[in-house]
Amino acid sequence: MKAPWLRGFTLFYLLFLYSPILLLPIFAFNDSKVVSFPLSGFTTNWFVEMWADKNLRIAAKNSLIIALSVATLSTILGIFAARASVRYRFPGKAPLMGLIMLPLVLPEMIVAMSLLVVLLSIGVPLSLLTVIMGQVLICTPFAVAILTSAFQSLDRSLEEAALDLGETQWSTFRLIILPLVMPGILASFLICFTISFDEFIIANFLGSGRPILSVYIFGQFRFPSKVPSMLALGTVLVCFSIILLGFAEYMRRRGIAKAGGKDAGGFL
Amino acid sequence: MAATPRSEARAGLKLISPTAIYVIVLLALPLATVLVYSMMTGGRGNVSLPLTIANYAELWSKPVYGYILLKSLLVALSVTFITVVLAYPVAYFVSFHVKPDRKSLWLFLITIPFWTSYIIRVSLWFVILGYDGILDKALMSLGIMNTQLNFSSYGIPAIIFVLAHAYAPFAVLPIFVSLEKVDRSLLEAGQDLGESRWVTFLRVTLPLSMPGVIAAALIVFIPTVGDYVTPKLVGDGREPMIANFIETALLKLRNYPQGSAFAVVSMLMVGIVSVVFVLLNRRFIGGSK
Amino acid sequence: MTYSDDRATMIEFKDVHKYYGDYHALRGINGTIKAGEFFSLLGPSGCGKTTLLRTIAGFEDISSGVIMIDGKDMAGVAANARPTNMVFQSYAIFPHMSVAENVGFGLRKDPRSKEEKARAVAEALEMVGLKGYGNRAAHALSGGQRQRVALARALILKPKVLLLDEPLSALDKKMREHMQVELIKLQRQVGITFILVTHDQEEALVMSDRIAVMFEGEIAQLADPETLYRRPATKKVADFIGTMNFVPATILSETGNAVEVDAKGLGRVMLDIDQAPAKAGESPVVGLRPETLTLLYDDQKAPERETDGVIDEVIYFGDMTYYDVYLGGTDVEVRLSMRNVPGRPVLDVGEKVRVAWSPSALVLFR
Repeated sequence: MKAPWLRGFTLFYLLFLYSPILLLPIFAFNDSKVVSFPLSGFTTNWFVEMWADKNLRIAAKNSLIIALSVATLSTILGIFAARASVRYRFPGKAPLMGLIMLPLVLPEMIVAMSLLVVLLSIGVPLSLLTVIMGQVLICTPFAVAILTSAFQSLDRSLEEAALDLGETQWSTFRLIILPLVMPGILASFLICFTISFDEFIIANFLGSGRPILSVYIFGQFRFPSKVPSMLALGTVLVCFSIILLGFAEYMRRRGIAKAGGKDAGGFL
Repeated sequence: MAATPRSEARAGLKLISPTAIYVIVLLALPLATVLVYSMMTGGRGNVSLPLTIANYAELWSKPVYGYILLKSLLVALSVTFITVVLAYPVAYFVSFHVKPDRKSLWLFLITIPFWTSYIIRVSLWFVILGYDGILDKALMSLGIMNTQLNFSSYGIPAIIFVLAHAYAPFAVLPIFVSLEKVDRSLLEAGQDLGESRWVTFLRVTLPLSMPGVIAAALIVFIPTVGDYVTPKLVGDGREPMIANFIETALLKLRNYPQGSAFAVVSMLMVGIVSVVFVLLNRRFIGGSK
Repeated sequence: MTYSDDRATMIEFKDVHKYYGDYHALRGINGTIKAGEFFSLLGPSGCGKTTLLRTIAGFEDISSGVIMIDGKDMAGVAANARPTNMVFQSYAIFPHMSVAENVGFGLRKDPRSKEEKARAVAEALEMVGLKGYGNRAAHALSGGQRQRVALARALILKPKVLLLDEPLSALDKKMREHMQVELIKLQRQVGITFILVTHDQEEALVMSDRIAVMFEGEIAQLADPETLYRRPATKKVADFIGTMNFVPATILSETGNAVEVDAKGLGRVMLDIDQAPAKAGESPVVGLRPETLTLLYDDQKAPERETDGVIDEVIYFGDMTYYDVYLGGTDVEVRLSMRNVPGRPVLDVGEKVRVAWSPSALVLFR
């Protein structure tokens, strides 16, 4: 069954998806302050300018601090929730899991604003910490989803076998469960990191104007003279994303292979 | 259903408690606060009793609120429709016409743009479509146009276009997953029973993949209806959607009760549309059994 | 190795009950399992046999009653502190470890030296026929090999009791039959108590010294395989183990150690009291196994009793032929099996036949 028009459509779709991203490196290396065709020559000046931008470096550092904290916290909270929901039955499980997963179906603005209103009312000063608090809320559902499938693919009798062979609950967790769900933990960490790094709304409203990369990029695009160096930054970020995602996908597959399962498709 | 052994219940609750406490304090309580604020009076950053439904009455009486809600709804539904319709053939192609060992690679290619900075993607459209942007320049230098098209200023259509691009990859995965679950022998049975390939698709494949289509619709609808960046950047910010309006009410006007009431109504609207999607899905799942 | 009363008791159940909420999974289990015995828990799915096994292992608490292992009450003793080890239905081979790491898993806290432990692992692997497999990755093993690893991993700890949860159900028929023999040999070699959970009556009969047949959370009969087959305690047990024909009967008289019945199509028969187990409130039927019935060819005479019949159905199996026969002009149909030996033709549907049977092979259920 060949379907040339389906294939053609899919390739066209991919081109559509990638078109703005493909423009990134083209104009990032283009020797012109004006972002337009025809191209005027090759330069790496925009990367140099990007590197020299002190505010950008602060924003990147802040974003890294936030993303690392959010990924760590969300994954830890995700481990607790996923393990509890896969392994145990307990009263209130459905509403609690529903609440944890709620940010998936809630406009992010509402999560951000309700938290903001409360923080302002009780006088908590906005800082990187408040951004982390908010972003953990929206990243945890992703962590729970990834980790739930990781815990589900664990055969319950592996745990029982370890107990049966003389291990305690805790050493069973350390020797059997943790190594087997480690690929899921890494995937969760990477995906939460990526989401947090990209996130705008919470970073903008709960960060109170602190330089955070996504907010900074958003602001800089308004100044035409800053656009080329932003494109250079975008090029770097896209490369990082692809490397991170490739790594996450690799870990996921290795996890499935380890557990002896079959590949059931991509993320989420 | 069997009752839970108490020791298991305790172990489960203990394990989930850190996450549960976190979301209760930082999500449930703030949402409850917004709900309470929405029934209070005040403005300029303070709230006071007594409880009232006046804020909701005002939402009902002033057309601007309804307009924003309706516009957001229509934009989100249009985006949802476009992304799902575009994504279906792609998911179908990957599921039915790509060799099993290459499927992951295709999915990977489709998902990469989704994981690359959303802000940069949207901002790029601003650069491409905006006044004197790449598109305008290209069109003018090719002699197709002689004035600025400035598509970005077209407001709602530009917003829909950019959002449809931003959320396109979301729709492919769930549809793909549901197509993968379609038992291939059913299709052979359909053709064996004398239907053409196209009718088999309509009568067998499409209904069986509807759960994926609806999941895709939900996954696209929820973030688009609450999108903040695109309406602000594209369309020159002249067409605010729910998120932008909440910002204005809560942060610029500092009218907590009114902004809260609007947020609650928005949540309700999103909730109702989501429930409709889910109910539709139930019907399809029920029908296919 | 057959069951004998003078062996020491290894496991004792005293009125064991288990509830899952409202569901009564174990309904008063009593009985003993002897040291060195190959014991099977047999029953259909959902009868509680796996639950009972898991209460021995310590994976399930019991709601009331007592379980003693080797004279000690197991209440409050966790799975990791019990002198039992388990071979899981899925084998539960740790996928991230090598074969040797799997087998040596339980030796982590063993005070012996590394070399001694390695030797113990090698010995255990040799015992299950996997000599030299130690460095293989666990996930690359076949089903039969995984099972051997699971056995070695449990036996290396020298448990007093080895628990086997449907260990052969994942294997194909040939492999299963092969492993049955291997397990019997292994049990004789190590001499410890084996408790096997199975839903396969043939497997239980082949392997066990004694079998507990379970239905709906209760032990319906606990006996050696021969007794179980020849003298099932209830109609349900009879039906579950092998094939049994049931013929409606009326009880004519009951005196001391004999019962006289009138079985439809067979006529009046005197039964010994041990052919009539305790009353279970069923309407009376007599049971006969197909192989205790024989077709008589022309000049043959029945050694004991015979009845006329008409062949209703012929099912040809190669080495055997099964006949469904209406007895003595009634609507009572019995199945009988005949070996296809040379000179014995396969008969046709509708042929009139004579069926020989023996009163001592009958069991009365009432």
